[in-house]
Amino acid sequence: MDDSNERKFQKELNGGLVGLVLLAVLAQSDEDLYGYEIAKRLASANDGTSIFKEGTIYPVLRALSAGDLLTSRIVPSYSGPPRRYYRITEQGRGVLAAWKLIWAGTRDFVDRFTEIEPSKIGHPS
Amino acid sequence: MNRSAPRSIDQYLRQLREELAGSDAALIQDALYDAEEYLRAEVAAHPDKSESDVLELIASTYGAPDEVAGAYRDTEVKVKAAMATPRKVPKSRLGAFFGVFLDPRAYTSLFFMLLCMATGIIYFVFAIVGLSLSAGFAALIIGVPFFLLFVAVGRVVSLAEGRLIEATTGVRMPRRPVYQGSALTFWARIGEMLKDRRTWTTIAYFILMLPIGILYFVIAVVGLSVSLAFIALPIVAVLAQTGLFGLGGVEVFSHAEPEWIFDSGFAIPILGVAGVLLLTSLMHLARGVGRLHALFAKSMLVARTASNTPQTLESGAPLAATAPR
Repeated sequence: MDDSNERKFQKELNGGLVGLVLLAVLAQSDEDLYGYEIAKRLASANDGTSIFKEGTIYPVLRALSAGDLLTSRIVPSYSGPPRRYYRITEQGRGVLAAWKLIWAGTRDFVDRFTEIEPSKIGHPS
Repeated sequence: MNRSAPRSIDQYLRQLREELAGSDAALIQDALYDAEEYLRAEVAAHPDKSESDVLELIASTYGAPDEVAGAYRDTEVKVKAAMATPRKVPKSRLGAFFGVFLDPRAYTSLFFMLLCMATGIIYFVFAIVGLSLSAGFAALIIGVPFFLLFVAVGRVVSLAEGRLIEATTGVRMPRRPVYQGSALTFWARIGEMLKDRRTWTTIAYFILMLPIGILYFVIAVVGLSVSLAFIALPIVAVLAQTGLFGLGGVEVFSHAEPEWIFDSGFAIPILGVAGVLLLTSLMHLARGVGRLHALFAKSMLVARTASNTPQTLESGAPLAATAPR
């Protein structure tokens, strides 16, 4: 397939980013969120299609929870199995702050090489 | 993807289970649970669409079964790698023998052995009371609901036991309960429950935990008290010799019977060394018992899945190479 390279690259990029985004979403939210809700928030922030497959956020949520960055509680649901609601911990907020700095640094660094100057768009010289 | 896309939740879950075949049974249970939560929420969020219409779009939102399976496997390996504290590999045999004191699993396993007595009694009473009341109520109208309640509570207890075992021995156990699905009728669910091998092995596990718990407790308490007493002996002897405190009339160096132990100071350091060796052996034993018990609990409490591959000690075979034993 032609876009397999692109998909592979996107998947590799997502590896660490999913955790950062999940922490950020939960840090912004006043209420506890469950997996499906988080997935839909991510999708709606990107015009309905999430950058990463929503199925990949569940294992990451559990991993963050196992690392004490999130706490969770189980609430029964009418539509299916009981839902697990997540909330960020103080430790999680600390980690998020550190990760944000790393991300900002990484983004700026990468941008330095890959940024397309606005003036060049549409004016190939 | 080279096979037909799933058109129903059940089909999706079956394909996901097939994709995960060979993975840890506990991981499969978690992955299926998460997927079912998402899929049912997605179907419920689109009441105007049929289940197959919703499932058609799942591959682009939730991800196809093979993608999701890959995500679980990757995350599991990464988390295990990140959480596992790198252990120094002791070089000499002596280092390997005494290295057990640096392994937190040995301490937690020993704690687990002590705790098994208490949990064993609770599980045993729970199982026996539940079974006998179910039998007694069988003729009454509350018989069936009572038995169902008993089995349901048993599943929650078995999940809690799994969490305890994972915390103390490090062997992966399920983090989510098994979700049976709501499509079945009341009587069909009862039938499934009775046919499910796990219902009965769970009850058997609860009953077996009493003798097992007593055995673990006795081994741990006897091992600890004997070895610690031996280790304390030279220290007490030295302190008593210096006249720091008396031993309530008991003399460390006595010529009374039995003479062969304490008529000279010679036996005291030997007993002290024996105590250290005994304590170290106990730590090894505790770690081994913890691992074996976790495998036993997994075979009794976690549903068999499509895969019949033998479970290795800790899931994530690639990691086994980095961790000694």
